[in-house]
Amino acid sequence: MDTKAPFQHSGKNIAQLMQTLLLALLPGICASLWFFGYGILLNILIAGFFALAAETAMLRLRGKKIALHLADRSALVCAALFAIGIPPGAPWWLVALGIIFAIVVVKHLYGGLGQNPFNPAMCGYAMLLLAFPLQMTSWHLPNEVVEGVLSVDNLGIPIASTEQEILSPLSGRGFKQALLLSFPFAASSDFDMKAFTDGLAMATPLIEFKMAGQSALLAARDSGASLFSRESETAWEVINIGYLFGGLLLLYKRIISWHIPLTIIATVLIVSALFYAPGSASIYGTPYLHLFGSATMIGAFFIATDPVSAATTRPGKVVYGIIIGLSIYSIRVWGSYLDSIAFAVLFGNFCAPALDQFCRPRIFGQGLLRATKLTETNHESTKP
Amino acid sequence: MSPLQRIQSMLGVGTSLSSRRTAGGIKPPSYKEHSLRSRIMPMPIPPQLKIPVGATESGTIALDIAAGDHVHKYQKLAQLQLSAQGRTSIPVHAPTSGIVSAIEEAYVADHSQQKQVCIVLKTDGLDTSLPLEPAVDYRQLASEELVTAIRRAGIVGMGGAGFPAADKIDSAAHQALDLLIINAAECEPYISADEALIRERAEGVVTGAEILQRASSARRCIIAIESSKPNAIQALEQAIEAQTNITGNCELLLVPSKYPVGSEKQLIQSVSGIEIPSGQHPAQHGVLVHNVGTSYAVFQALVLGRPCISRITTLSGQALKTPKNFEALIGCSVEFLFEICGIDKSLRHKTLLGGSLMGLQLPSDNAAVSKTTNCLIAAGSDELAPPTEIQACIRCGFCADACPVRLLPQQLLAFSKTANNSQLLEHGLMDCIECGACDYVCPSHIPLVSIYKDSKAAIETRLTNHERSKVWQQRFQYHQSRIKKEKDQAPTRTKAVPAKKPAAESEVSASNNGNEQEFFSKEKASREIAAAVARVKARRDESKKAASVQDKSK
Repeated sequence: MDTKAPFQHSGKNIAQLMQTLLLALLPGICASLWFFGYGILLNILIAGFFALAAETAMLRLRGKKIALHLADRSALVCAALFAIGIPPGAPWWLVALGIIFAIVVVKHLYGGLGQNPFNPAMCGYAMLLLAFPLQMTSWHLPNEVVEGVLSVDNLGIPIASTEQEILSPLSGRGFKQALLLSFPFAASSDFDMKAFTDGLAMATPLIEFKMAGQSALLAARDSGASLFSRESETAWEVINIGYLFGGLLLLYKRIISWHIPLTIIATVLIVSALFYAPGSASIYGTPYLHLFGSATMIGAFFIATDPVSAATTRPGKVVYGIIIGLSIYSIRVWGSYLDSIAFAVLFGNFCAPALDQFCRPRIFGQGLLRATKLTETNHESTKP
Repeated sequence: MSPLQRIQSMLGVGTSLSSRRTAGGIKPPSYKEHSLRSRIMPMPIPPQLKIPVGATESGTIALDIAAGDHVHKYQKLAQLQLSAQGRTSIPVHAPTSGIVSAIEEAYVADHSQQKQVCIVLKTDGLDTSLPLEPAVDYRQLASEELVTAIRRAGIVGMGGAGFPAADKIDSAAHQALDLLIINAAECEPYISADEALIRERAEGVVTGAEILQRASSARRCIIAIESSKPNAIQALEQAIEAQTNITGNCELLLVPSKYPVGSEKQLIQSVSGIEIPSGQHPAQHGVLVHNVGTSYAVFQALVLGRPCISRITTLSGQALKTPKNFEALIGCSVEFLFEICGIDKSLRHKTLLGGSLMGLQLPSDNAAVSKTTNCLIAAGSDELAPPTEIQACIRCGFCADACPVRLLPQQLLAFSKTANNSQLLEHGLMDCIECGACDYVCPSHIPLVSIYKDSKAAIETRLTNHERSKVWQQRFQYHQSRIKKEKDQAPTRTKAVPAKKPAAESEVSASNNGNEQEFFSKEKASREIAAAVARVKARRDESKKAASVQDKSK
């Protein structure tokens, strides 16, 4: 293609885009790391490893250039987005199964990069959620994290405590415990696994809100927890703010357009504000809780904006964002699943091809009535 | 323009003009500064010129000279009679004096990529010229006279289209022309010919604009230039001010510096807000666009009486020691120009004609400079070498954001792959202006424009085939209806001779009816032919007699 115009290129490539995307994930990942310990990092590493392995195998099977296509880093992005959604402390096989399903079935069996109609990471997540609901909804944490924060879990059952001192989840012991949670087979026989796994089943504040009413959450808030204390509600706030910053970086770098994230956030905000009844013990939750108490930010900026499976026209993107925003709220409040990003995005993916076909920008010079009228008046004005 | 006016222009308030927003666009590095370092250079007379007249397919060529003739500078050599419109023609003049050694077909540095008839001129280096006959005063000439003068000077669209300037004016002659835009928005990278021209010869450009305005009887005349060219803007401002003191009323408008703002319809929208509908000409909407180069050539023709024998051509690229703009004589070879710029052929990777985004690769240096050769690039090895590793489309939509026509290149790509022609047409493939902005931003390095060009060509051949088959179908249907008609008429004819056949036999012989009818009609036809031949003979004899009578009377 060297011989045909244009001969000049911006120098952008897919690998750069993907790398910036990974970079933009960092603030959120760091916040998760700070609050919940090494679990998320282990998930990302396990997912990354299996993603690359699955990608290599599939490229080989499909007879593609392995080095060229591995270098685009799309598998790593998929792995990172997938791993972020998996509860820390999930066993390794859960992560591996999900990401292999995502890469092999959802991505490559549909024709590889750019061909998959559905978001691979979210398909992997949804598959796991349907197949392993228990593992996918318990957020196991090293119990050092737990000790200092809550003395009871959200069902009011006292937590079995083995350690009395409060330690950082980033300590060496925390790391060891996270490792053992991910790779349970590595534990020595005399080691008490129960101590960890019973540590805490803590999901997002929104889920706590939905499942256990307002008690735990309000209790935490009333206790005057500060933003950076390692406490469950504020943790999710900070993590969401982290992803929000990452998303703004993507917007600034023009890797994503504002249409999808803005419409998702606006829709969630408006709908949750409409249904919110202050003071009542309703199940709807505050708009703030909907935006920052769960995975809304990462969903809006990182997952719904996956260009391959999203709507690609600008008006289409707006409608796509509204559909996802409504789905997020609907599944959260009236659905039976704990969080809703995966299903909402997949639902958006279903609509995307139709949106691309029917929501198109007006082509320059086509479908014009105004311009011809304008010139007619111009002609009239010149006649006298 | 004062700073205040400039702010007003940006805000769209006040008396001064403001540009309107256009869709898409990119801002590639322009590399114009290399060729703008020095002034426009007059070129030495090359030993040989190959002056292109035109391709034989595009019209009839009428030569005024023959091989072996000695010609003077400015002498008219030939003209191309365009077959499309019988009355229009493009004359060609001698850029210098010398002897016509041959008239042959050769490659020309323009976008046609086909051989053209060229007049080979062996120059004598004396540069003896015919006396120039400047127009009396262009202000006293009627618009038709101006157009005739422009046509006689052989001026074509210098921006690259090469359409005769006089014809363009004529095409709008029957309507009230609201706006004449002089296109100084030379937005494609590398090309700096227009900018150099404006910097150094702004008065000529502005005078040419005034002449064009008079010739096309336009109500307003706006010179549109990108805001990123301060020197040229200043020169134009001064020239316009000087001219306004006399007669003219040209205005200056700054348009945003993005590619492709200089594309005709995009520029019209940027300047006037008018969006020319797809498939229509600007003239239909009271707007006309001429290039600044054309404007300057018109100035030369009307004020100096000098026909179009040279043009400003940018020479650029890393393989050249001194990239610059030349006042290139029409017909000099690309190689000659490169040599004066100190080309290092070992460094050169490829040669481009035109800019880096819409240009094409020149197969050889022997091509002759034509009236539309605006830029020649001798690109180095790491220059203008877009990445060749093509990856899959990830539908990122950067291309759609860059498209000045608001197309969806990512969708067009998918439909092109499956040759889904109805969707391609639905998605506006034919409105693609092939500017290359989508290609430029594509992170997967997909050669979108060449894919679209192929799809367009495929659709066009399909459409022509379809048209052709339609014609054949119509003919076939006509043929069938005629046969049917004859069949329907046949019984009446056989009934005309009913007595010969008994009623009982008529049913049996019905199947033979056709054959009989054919037999009859054949006989009848041969009779008719004989009669016709006789009639023609008679007529010929008569006309011969008449001719001889005329001859005698003379």
